[in-house]
Amino acid sequence: MKFRAKINDVGCLNHFTRVVNTITKLTKTCVVRLTVDNIFFVLSGKVANGGVSMWCELLQVNFFDEYQLEGVSEDANEICLEVNPENLSRALKTAQNAKSVKIKLTKKHYPCLTLAAELPSLSSISRVVTHDIPVDVIPRRLWHDFKEPSMPDFDVSIYLPPLKTMKSVVDRMKNLSNYLVVEANLSGEMNLKIETDLVSVTTHFKDLGNPPWGASQSQSQSRDVEAMAHARVDIRKLQQFLMGQQVNPTKSMCNIVDKRIIHLILLQEDVSLQYFIPAVA
Amino acid sequence: MDCVATGGNVKVLAKAIHSLSRIGEELYLEPTEDGLTLRAVNSSRSAFACFLMTPLFFQRYQAPPDQALRCKMPIKSVQTVFRSLSSLERSVEKCRIEMNTEQSRLRITLHCKHGLLKTHNLSFQDCESLQAVFDKDSCTNMLRAQPRLWVDTVLHFPPSLEEVSVSVSSDRVWLRNHVEDDADSSKAMMTELCLSSEEFDHFAIGSQTSITFCLKELRGLLVFAETAGLPISMYFDEPGSPVVLSVSDSVLEANFVLATLSEDAHQRNHNNNKADGPRAGLPPDDFMCDDIDSYLIAMETSDLAGPSYEPQPQSSSTNHKSRLLSEEEDEEEESVERPPNKKFCSLFFGSVLPASSQLTNQTVQSQEVLASDSEDERQSD
Amino acid sequence: MPLSTQPQSGNDEYVLVASLDNVRNLSNILKAISFKDHAIFNATQNGLKVTVEESKCLQANAFIQAEIFQEFTLKEDVVGFQVNLTVLLDCLTIFGGSTVPGVSTALRMCYNGYGYPLTLFLEEGGVVTVCKINTQEPEEPLDFDFCSTNVTNKVILQSDSLKEAFSELDMTSEILQLTMSPSHPYFRLSTFGNSGNAHYDYPKDSDMMELFQCTKTQTNRYKMSLLKPSTKALALSCKVSVRTDTRGFLSLQYLVRNDDGQICFVEYYCSPDEEVDEE
Repeated sequence: MKFRAKINDVGCLNHFTRVVNTITKLTKTCVVRLTVDNIFFVLSGKVANGGVSMWCELLQVNFFDEYQLEGVSEDANEICLEVNPENLSRALKTAQNAKSVKIKLTKKHYPCLTLAAELPSLSSISRVVTHDIPVDVIPRRLWHDFKEPSMPDFDVSIYLPPLKTMKSVVDRMKNLSNYLVVEANLSGEMNLKIETDLVSVTTHFKDLGNPPWGASQSQSQSRDVEAMAHARVDIRKLQQFLMGQQVNPTKSMCNIVDKRIIHLILLQEDVSLQYFIPAVA
Repeated sequence: MDCVATGGNVKVLAKAIHSLSRIGEELYLEPTEDGLTLRAVNSSRSAFACFLMTPLFFQRYQAPPDQALRCKMPIKSVQTVFRSLSSLERSVEKCRIEMNTEQSRLRITLHCKHGLLKTHNLSFQDCESLQAVFDKDSCTNMLRAQPRLWVDTVLHFPPSLEEVSVSVSSDRVWLRNHVEDDADSSKAMMTELCLSSEEFDHFAIGSQTSITFCLKELRGLLVFAETAGLPISMYFDEPGSPVVLSVSDSVLEANFVLATLSEDAHQRNHNNNKADGPRAGLPPDDFMCDDIDSYLIAMETSDLAGPSYEPQPQSSSTNHKSRLLSEEEDEEEESVERPPNKKFCSLFFGSVLPASSQLTNQTVQSQEVLASDSEDERQSD
Repeated sequence: MPLSTQPQSGNDEYVLVASLDNVRNLSNILKAISFKDHAIFNATQNGLKVTVEESKCLQANAFIQAEIFQEFTLKEDVVGFQVNLTVLLDCLTIFGGSTVPGVSTALRMCYNGYGYPLTLFLEEGGVVTVCKINTQEPEEPLDFDFCSTNVTNKVILQSDSLKEAFSELDMTSEILQLTMSPSHPYFRLSTFGNSGNAHYDYPKDSDMMELFQCTKTQTNRYKMSLLKPSTKALALSCKVSVRTDTRGFLSLQYLVRNDDGQICFVEYYCSPDEEVDEE
């Protein structure tokens, strides 16, 4: 099992840092799956994290100048590690302006992802900062927990409004209530609603558009376009998702399975992030 | 005492107070003919800081006619006076400090723009002189660098990190976070930064060594050095003897004296060895048994005037201690202040233990870590 | 109730309709008095007065004149209700209260009368938020009986000079002592804290002092905890008028300029803590 990768380009480094920072905002701990072509950040929907799950996928070739991987075996050429993304974030933060950053799997007193950055200095000799980030290597028998989640058979799929607007609304609603209802229909309308003893607030978004998913989504095709599908969710989970966003994605969508789950999808050229928030009664 | 600071020096004074507030909770003031000294010591007495503002620092400086003027006061109350640095910079034109012994009052008057006059009357207590015994000039190792280098260096370590290890060779410096090897931190992220000697203004290494000390106080001094734009010199010997961080220019001088971890404790950490026998044998809470002063900082709170105390050899530490701490001080430490930091106590116990010479191994070991690459890494599951 | 206003189409059911192109012109001034949840709203033909009180010793009023609103329609002479101010402010700033020029949130605020919620329609960039905030019957605000004929001392200061002083106040002092005098120290703020005392003296000829009318030396103490909320108003204001009357009651009037350059007022009344012998 071997892994080493190198970033030379500042743009790629910043981009990778933003992805990791986003993950850091979403979860305290996650699984990093390294394959020949991709890096995945995965959170599986355990009760401990409120049933929230996450799947972030990026193409290694768009980030790394060098990338060598030898998985656990030839038929399973990948590596699965549990990491604290905050450590990775912190390490990358100190590597800002680095001439190059190397990331590799090392064996110290415990397995580590070692991040070594060559930094500019006042002399001809670079500064070198090395961070040993402890990881847990996940044995192959547990890998099935970290497979890509299947797309739920949603009732409504809708494009999200600008995330910044959505964030202000959700931030204020969070001050007023613990739960929020997300509802949307196939006419491009989405509402965010809260209701308490003191106040009820509804924000109406319209003309958002509905993504074309093709014939596979039979359930939504026969649906009344005006009919709202809705899910009541823990407002903190949604806030967390919105807080983490550091870049404006090219596409952002929300799929709702009525009274079951909301499935948020952000797409950028070479990164995709999916986030699942279960509905509560 | 009556002195007046003007212009940018008011901000320098304010920064000095802020720096000292990172060390201890009380400010010790002593005006002498050499200038105004401001001192602080931390509750476990493992860190001591002293600023001397010479008479030339002030527009007017009048030392008390008799030399016996020493006082201390809560540093928070002095900080209140200089709270907002931006407003100091924007509006304060002149700062006058007067000491009134009859009323036990220190009066600080800030003359601000638009005629606004801020007068603070702070009460103080008389006290004995507080002085650490150290001799930085006899240290075998000395590094000096611009504050920017130190700031950039410290930035790599998380704010929560308490101690940092500094290792030196003839042409390199390594900084590493020091993690106590209890269960919680055994899986902490380890960070190491390597700097070339060329980045330092002055680099004189007499012996390759590695010391561990608290980062908090270094950060405190950085607050000051950065504003004043003054280089920081670091003087040190072997593990267990204090490190001195020093800043000076023609009108002021600052020395921060910090305890370092003994070699044993140091080694324990690096071997990641869970057995901490030496520490278990000693009562970790008992500050009085913690014989730190002799080889770290000797606090003179005796009636002797002036800072002329002789450094004591390590062997006489027990006797030394009783002379160094006045009764009054001891009581206060035990009854009023928080119990001393346990980690620090153990840190000091560690440093009493006889030194073994595993030092060179360690440096080699760390170099190895730095040089390792993926080729020699084995499968980890 | 006499119906003196013409019923406007579409607003039949409402006794109060007020709309603003820029919600910040309301939300900012309400922030200046938001130190307690309960706020008493009182609307008359002149505009809106919002009152917040604390322990019968402090009262803050914000005045938003009818002219500030693009529409201000009342069907009764006086309309009063009480709402939770914290909730109202969260609603008013639902879109984040952007300060970007050209981006503002429009507001339409409607009230149906006793027992009905206060309804807000907020719109920014085509997105609409509807809020219904429950109302209660208004309590009778305290009457501080602060009358300008009884004013002994009055100064008008530029707010900046007081902002600095208030941000530095020694909070270990239970009281803030205010001395106003025709002779030295003219205008003095004093604190008496754990570590000593502090005095801030403003000379009467300071260029921060726009008006100085002190007739008699007066020293009064006010609870620090009561005066602390007024720093919110101070922060938003450009000028402040400080007045004391013969009983030692304090009136602080803040002149607040909104995004459109219009002027609104916030007023704090505070009763003195105890009698102090005059120097």
